[in-house]
Amino acid sequence: MFVSDIRKEFYDVIVNQRVALLVSADVDALCACKILQALFHCDHVQYTLVPVTGWQVLETAFLEHKEQFRYFVLINCGANIDLLETLQPDEDSVFFICDTHRPIDVVNVYNDTQIKLLIKQDDDLGIPSYDDIFRDDEEEGEDGDDSGNESEGGSEPSGKRRRFDEGAVERRIERRREKRDWEARRREILFDYEQYEYHGTSSALVMFELAWVMSKDSKDMLWWSIVGLTDQWVQDKITHMKYVTDVGTLQRHVSRHNHRNEDEENSLSIDCMRISFEYDLHLALYQHWSLYESICNSCYTSSHFKLWSIHGQKKLQEFLADMGLPLKQVRQKFNSMDLSIKDNLREVIEESSNKYGMKDIRIQTFSVHFGFKNKFLASDVVHAAAALLENIEKDESGTDNFIKALDSLSRSNLEKLHHGIKLAKKKLISVQQTIASCICTNQILSQGPFLYCYLMEGTPDVKLFSKPMSLSILSKYLLKAFVRSTKNKRCRLLPLIMAAPMDVEKGTVIVLGIPPEAESSDKKNFFGRAFEKAAESTSSRTLHDHFDTSIIELKTEDRSKFLDALITLLS
Amino acid sequence: MFCEKAIELIRELQRASDGQLPAFNEDGIRQVLEEMKALYEQNQTDVNEAKSEGRSDLIPTIKFRHCCLLRNQRCIAAYLYDRLLRIRSLRWEYGSVLPTSIRFHMCAEELEWFNQYKKSLATYMRSLGGDEGLDITQDMQPPKSLYIEVRCLKDYGEFEIDDGTTILLKKNSQHFLPRWKCEQLIRQGVLEHVMS
Repeated sequence: MFVSDIRKEFYDVIVNQRVALLVSADVDALCACKILQALFHCDHVQYTLVPVTGWQVLETAFLEHKEQFRYFVLINCGANIDLLETLQPDEDSVFFICDTHRPIDVVNVYNDTQIKLLIKQDDDLGIPSYDDIFRDDEEEGEDGDDSGNESEGGSEPSGKRRRFDEGAVERRIERRREKRDWEARRREILFDYEQYEYHGTSSALVMFELAWVMSKDSKDMLWWSIVGLTDQWVQDKITHMKYVTDVGTLQRHVSRHNHRNEDEENSLSIDCMRISFEYDLHLALYQHWSLYESICNSCYTSSHFKLWSIHGQKKLQEFLADMGLPLKQVRQKFNSMDLSIKDNLREVIEESSNKYGMKDIRIQTFSVHFGFKNKFLASDVVHAAAALLENIEKDESGTDNFIKALDSLSRSNLEKLHHGIKLAKKKLISVQQTIASCICTNQILSQGPFLYCYLMEGTPDVKLFSKPMSLSILSKYLLKAFVRSTKNKRCRLLPLIMAAPMDVEKGTVIVLGIPPEAESSDKKNFFGRAFEKAAESTSSRTLHDHFDTSIIELKTEDRSKFLDALITLLS
Repeated sequence: MFCEKAIELIRELQRASDGQLPAFNEDGIRQVLEEMKALYEQNQTDVNEAKSEGRSDLIPTIKFRHCCLLRNQRCIAAYLYDRLLRIRSLRWEYGSVLPTSIRFHMCAEELEWFNQYKKSLATYMRSLGGDEGLDITQDMQPPKSLYIEVRCLKDYGEFEIDDGTTILLKKNSQHFLPRWKCEQLIRQGVLEHVMS
């Protein structure tokens, strides 16, 4: 059931209770969790935070905690499957789900008592109406009446009896036909509804609005909701229109908070946090790197210039020369560049980019500024936190990384954030190198209804791509680069399936599918259902453990038959 | 040279940093006491000799030995007293039940002293604050809030809080709990206080 007044039906209910928070491992969930934790600290709500990385971990965590807690809050997990059936909770457990995964399972929508969805209903949800999918069984009663009539009719002369018999039988046949029709329609409606997987409003934004409604919002919470929204955009989960709309909402909040800064007499100290709206460059981490490296390793610029080819490198040099930026300056750390160059950098780059066909080099985003040294763009923090979440360096468990990433979002843990930025740089460099090698060695093959690319085991940094978020960033950038490099017009419209070795000992690969690349793409992904059906039909050993149904784990031996099944399914 | 053993004892304590209690050096004390006994006996005979035979050239030796005896006595007293101070601070740090590793380091008399100290502290605490008494070993630093956020560093299992409900402490889970319940576990290293 959808919660209409999030304050009365969610917060006021749990404020005097003990709550279990089950949080998924992505940056948007981390931000929503931080906001909710801050609210709980204000009101002394006792809670327990448990990180969950997949459905199995969620079930285990639920089993462990179900004796002690009645109220569970799930962040970025749980909306897209029948939760009550999977978890089998007691009658009095209540679940509050704040999830961006769509489509929301119909059982979750229509359950009135145990499942409360903290999701805004103005997202285009397209939920089928109740009568189309659920129906009370009245047929037995009517059948019973009919047989009753039959037996009564039996005492009358045979002519009448025959008439009654025929009438009853006809009615029964009619009803059965109706039921079959209704069920066929129901299957169709549900198939249409559940076919495409996509994402809705950021959970961090929902939590921030809760804080705002209670007048307990602060600049830290606003910053976290900005990071949550930017994460959705960096991971390409929402459409551009939605991003711009949500940025508009957040911009109003930012100006509301910045109202105090404008007063000249009481200007804030330099250590206070200032958030500002920026129309900044679409270059990843450019303020913490050198401009040259940032241009080479950002998806947008590298795919436009085609930097994996020599021709592309030459174009980049031309581009830099066109802007009048000397190579020595551009290869330095950004903070050490000459002030005269840095002043007009954005406008200069925008002008030259327009000449080279890059119209969207500038994007709407936010930056935060506290202290003399610390200035971060929202996308910087997103990249850093995502790199920390999927850190493979020390072979730590998923929950250790979760805790580190959660800590890095606080302002007092700047070393962790800087460590994250360092890891993010390494990740971006490996992504670009892998893209370059895949395109130059033509590893992306067209299988008919989709493109397919498999990362061999000996590829450098292949361990990095055994994690779902890194692999999905790689596949999105790879598809963008491929679309710009291929001459085959038909291939440009195809979706991509990417596979990489996940666990060498267990012999599994991670497979994920992404929708085709298009300017006005609605980011709807049908691979979730396709994978399920293909796995069923070939009885391949798969594990659909991830909250995004388009990411699965598959045994290496079953790879070829799984792919064949997918090809037949989708062509 | 005399009194060296005694200085060894003092140095041992100085090396143990920051209030840690090293093992009770039975041997060292015994050796110092033996040395003192030997010196005392020598002094006795010399004094008797000096008195009976009037040998005043023994007097400096007697004085020297007496000084050594006083020095040994002072060193041992300092050793024992410093250990007592450390044991006293253990009560404030660990509570009334000491971990067995520390108990091994104490001799029987020190244990006895610890128990007596515990009893007198408990009597004092009971006499404060009206009927229930006041536990002054809690909140050694003024608390900033009623509840604190803690993170679990190792798998501990179930933990019961005041209203009877249990919490499962699993590695890397975070909890927001009343401060007084967490202090013990923080000291033991199971939980870590998270400041944000």
